[in-house]
Amino acid sequence: MALGRRNRRNQFVPPKLQLTSMMDMFTIILIFLLFSFSDKPETMTLEKNLELPVSDAKLDYNDNIKLVLSRDSLYLGDVRIAGIQDGKIEGLNPSKLEESVLYKELMAYHKEKKNDDPKADKEVSILFLCDKRLSFKTVNSIIKTAGMAGYPNFQFGVLKK
Amino acid sequence: MSILRKQRKANREEDDPDMVPVMNLFLVLIPFLLMSASFYHLKAINTSVPVLSQQNEDMEEEAKKEIKLTVIVEIKEKQIDVSALSGEVEVELLKGLERTIDRKNSDEQTMKALSDCLEKIKSGFPASDTVIIIPEENVVYETIIQTMDVARYYNENPLFPKVVLSGKVG
Repeated sequence: MALGRRNRRNQFVPPKLQLTSMMDMFTIILIFLLFSFSDKPETMTLEKNLELPVSDAKLDYNDNIKLVLSRDSLYLGDVRIAGIQDGKIEGLNPSKLEESVLYKELMAYHKEKKNDDPKADKEVSILFLCDKRLSFKTVNSIIKTAGMAGYPNFQFGVLKK
Repeated sequence: MSILRKQRKANREEDDPDMVPVMNLFLVLIPFLLMSASFYHLKAINTSVPVLSQQNEDMEEEAKKEIKLTVIVEIKEKQIDVSALSGEVEVELLKGLERTIDRKNSDEQTMKALSDCLEKIKSGFPASDTVIIIPEENVVYETIIQTMDVARYYNENPLFPKVVLSGKVG
């Protein structure tokens, strides 16, 4: 009886881990990740309601002042400053752009930066992320306001083709 | 016979490569690549809006050396009008550069026609580098970006890299 048990113990072979399928999986993941590798990973999150146009632009953006115009909201940085209904920006009268929240916020920022360093703010451009379905009428009111507030240079954010 | 079989089995086991170090390498690589992976690639197009400026003497002298045209692209609902402005070229010559591109065709065909038209202007006046895009109010932003792409480069060669976006005045 005791001899039989010893024999059975001797016969025990530890199960060998089958790594082939795992290797296959890792290889696929590795290739996918290598393709999406970027030396400058995007740190910003894009809004659900924002579809950026596709372009063959190659220039990298400077993340100075971010203005986001989605289908239903206008954001300055990460702060929602106005809603949009039927392409019209709430609180923004095209004939009185100086009274809008956007103008006041940009002016305040412009003054603050100018006080800190008068030369630094001169060439600052706004990173403008805009939904591709919006009309020029909506876009124009925003860029006009920004231009009046002292920011005539823009970088239009687009997705790489 | 049985000894031979055992030997063959032992040889076969030795042939299996040791995958554990490779797995270790993968486990290090994958978190690193996950951290630096970017699932969308954001790029930018530089543009500006028209501003009041004072022309200085240096600019005037520079302008005299080479003729620079400013190309105007008006995007309308049914057509795209191309024209040019310059204080140094005769009005008749400028009129000869005017073109109208119908937007009845597909976007791709329209943009191809626009691209060819702009390339012709650029080859005639190579010093020109500015285009003013004037869309109508109902033109969607995507079309503006497509026009900018076409105006900036022609087969990887720069056409009018300085893009100014403006609303129609008057």
